[in-house]
Amino acid sequence: MLLYTCRRLASAVLTVLLSAVLVFAAVQLLPGDVATQVLGQDATPEAVAALRDQMDLNRPAVVRFLEWIAGAARGDFGLSPVSGEPVADTLWPHLRNTMLIAVSTVAVAVTASVVLGVVAGLYRDRWPDTIISTLTLIGMSVPEFVMATLLVLLLSITVPVLPAVVLDEATAPVADLLPAVVLPTIALSVVMTAYIVRMTRTSVIDVMAGEFVTTARLKGISTPRVVVRHALPSALLPTLNVIAMNVAWLVGGVAVVENVFNYPGIGQLMLESVHNRDLPVLQAIAVISALVYVLCNLAADLGAMALNPRLRTGGGSRR
Amino acid sequence: MPRSPGEERIPPRIRRRTALLGGAAAVGAATLAAGCSRTGAEAAPSIPEGAATGTPADGGVLRIARPPASQAETLDPADSLSAYEYLGALYNRLVRMDEDGEAVPDLATEWEPDDEGSTWTFRLRDGVEFHDGTRFTSADAAYTLRRILDPDLASPQATVLSPLLSPEGVHTPEPGVLRVELDAPNFEFPALLSNYHCYVVPDGSGDSIGETGIGTGPFRLEDFSPGGRGRVVAYDGHWEGRPVLDAIEMFAMTDIQARTNALLAGQVDLLSQTNLDFATARVVAASGNATIARSVNAQWYVLPMLTTAEPFTDSRVRRAMKLAYDPVHLLEVALQGTGVVGEDNPVPPDTPYWTDHTLERDPDRARALLSEAGHDGLQVDLYTSTYDPVFTPMALAYRDSVADAGIDVRVRNASADSYYTQVWMQQPLMATYWYTGRPADQLLNQIFRTGSSYNETAWSDPDFDDLLDSARGTADEDRRRRLYQEAQRLVVEEGGAMTPMFADRLVGLSREVLNYRESGFEFDYLNIGLRP
Repeated sequence: MLLYTCRRLASAVLTVLLSAVLVFAAVQLLPGDVATQVLGQDATPEAVAALRDQMDLNRPAVVRFLEWIAGAARGDFGLSPVSGEPVADTLWPHLRNTMLIAVSTVAVAVTASVVLGVVAGLYRDRWPDTIISTLTLIGMSVPEFVMATLLVLLLSITVPVLPAVVLDEATAPVADLLPAVVLPTIALSVVMTAYIVRMTRTSVIDVMAGEFVTTARLKGISTPRVVVRHALPSALLPTLNVIAMNVAWLVGGVAVVENVFNYPGIGQLMLESVHNRDLPVLQAIAVISALVYVLCNLAADLGAMALNPRLRTGGGSRR
Repeated sequence: MPRSPGEERIPPRIRRRTALLGGAAAVGAATLAAGCSRTGAEAAPSIPEGAATGTPADGGVLRIARPPASQAETLDPADSLSAYEYLGALYNRLVRMDEDGEAVPDLATEWEPDDEGSTWTFRLRDGVEFHDGTRFTSADAAYTLRRILDPDLASPQATVLSPLLSPEGVHTPEPGVLRVELDAPNFEFPALLSNYHCYVVPDGSGDSIGETGIGTGPFRLEDFSPGGRGRVVAYDGHWEGRPVLDAIEMFAMTDIQARTNALLAGQVDLLSQTNLDFATARVVAASGNATIARSVNAQWYVLPMLTTAEPFTDSRVRRAMKLAYDPVHLLEVALQGTGVVGEDNPVPPDTPYWTDHTLERDPDRARALLSEAGHDGLQVDLYTSTYDPVFTPMALAYRDSVADAGIDVRVRNASADSYYTQVWMQQPLMATYWYTGRPADQLLNQIFRTGSSYNETAWSDPDFDDLLDSARGTADEDRRRRLYQEAQRLVVEEGGAMTPMFADRLVGLSREVLNYRESGFEFDYLNIGLRP
């Protein structure tokens, strides 16, 4: 158990390091350099050279990478050459805002889809299952920016109850951002739900056919109690990984939805820093996304192990 | 360890998202709204011509959505990263440009040259105060001008003004008089001061002006965050009188779709620096609370031929490329008629120095010229990108139009991100555009003169350069006009730039907005207001 946890942790650290290398290398390959981008088209070659010098762009990439990774480990991502401010100061408010969407989306999507999945599983191949499966599959098939746009059309333009875009800055208090969180949350939840519903449904069907459920039923326990006490814990186990992957995707992949709503999160910051060739910001975002991805997977694996008695006590050796 | 089957399904989904990221934003509300609100048989609504005018309510707050700028953005007018929307609200220039392209008084009330045109005397407006209460004098005007010439500041307008004068040539004989000694005669000099980098800042304010925004304009700064939101409020002491509005708020939005949604949902009143595509413009025009106004001839589109690259080194080939196409066809296809034909002349029609000289379309003559130059069945690559939605339709319309002359154009798509670093002035033929609003003298000198850094066709014609020099040194207005027109004839006949059309900018604004007026780089901040 301990050995497994350590191995899993080590591979997580290695993954993050590798992704940092890849991110750094990829950013070096972007066309155009930050000096030209910062100074604009009017820049003279002398000005570009001076800025390149000032920004250390003339030193070997390997040296710059090592310095950067050492700083990043301490939470210091350097200075943005575009704004002249520390990258971390820009990054954290945006990350907080994205987490706001991510957390509310996870809460909404997971709750809704587990309930729907259980219902669909229990009523397998009957009308509730058909309706739930069809609707969630449609939801999954519609790209989230179309969903977002439909929601804006419906709830901001036709019936103006919610804001279409966020006018606040990244550093606005959470309370001000709350109305703006609703539409992105719905859009992302709809896209995410189908996966978890499908997974929960399959597990519920499997588990309900299991011997221990039959035993419980034979003992005369009511259906709701069988589902909640016996079937659900086992059924949720495989669902955990799907949930973890979705959470990880939320942090790294909400760029499109954030831009549709002008929401000041990580996705928007990422797009802006690509446009401005703000490499330090871009690198920090990529590494943090990788970190979140790895952490979510790690949590899912360790969580699954904690929930699964067979894994917890040292593999399938007793069988 | 258990691997759930769900996990295998996830990677393709993530790839799809990433792939969609680029193109996704562009489609969107407009297309959808069009699909939902139109019943099919109904014709597409037309795009309105002008903005609503009338007597606005006193006060009110105008909310403007603008494209995001980098966080290095500044309120310093001379800087290349100046926050464009704020400048006209906060500052004044010595000279501004009216809607006909004439230089008219702003902070300078009158100006006159000496006999050769090498010394200019500007009389300055009396009783003008900056937002901090200090009096505007010639010292401020002189400081502004010297600062633009400072090589360390690297102001874009320095490339225009530095060849004409040095900081030592700027004198302040009296608080109300500015005298400028030029290195060579130039009777067009005042017009060059109407550029939006020439807004007047207080004497000695260079280190702080980027944050304080202290000018003499109709609004004073209340709040500004670079690349983010900001607010300016009416300045009661403005010399032209108080503006109609109480305040203007600015919001930065990356995505054009987000800007359009904000307008349709009534969260903002005006989209600045946003040329809406035709589908979106029609949806906005058909909506209940927003509409479209046109900024007439706001930009001109160009297919520059690099005159230093084969086959365009031969002026017969350049001529053939121009004779072969039909600008009306390009205007109809690429702009859906929202503009006027350019006739290969970049000087906007009906401005003071414009000439109506044109080359009549003649595909047979084009074919003959190509044959003469040894380029029968000429094949050329024409580069375009998604940088601007008009580029590709224009390129395709050009390709179809020149097929009659036996020219085989292959349209190539390049990355929008690096279009202006890798394609512009690198590839022999590409699609691009410029904003109008430059005085004719600046336009011709900047874009067509030998060796200018903006000379995108790398064209070099000593006769043309001489014409510009003698025009600048000619006191008589009529003779000067004829010289500038002669220079344009050379651009049309010999130059490398094909200028098929001038385009209106389609500006989205709320139906509540009255007296929106914008032409070139001039925006009327004083009179714009909201419905009572």
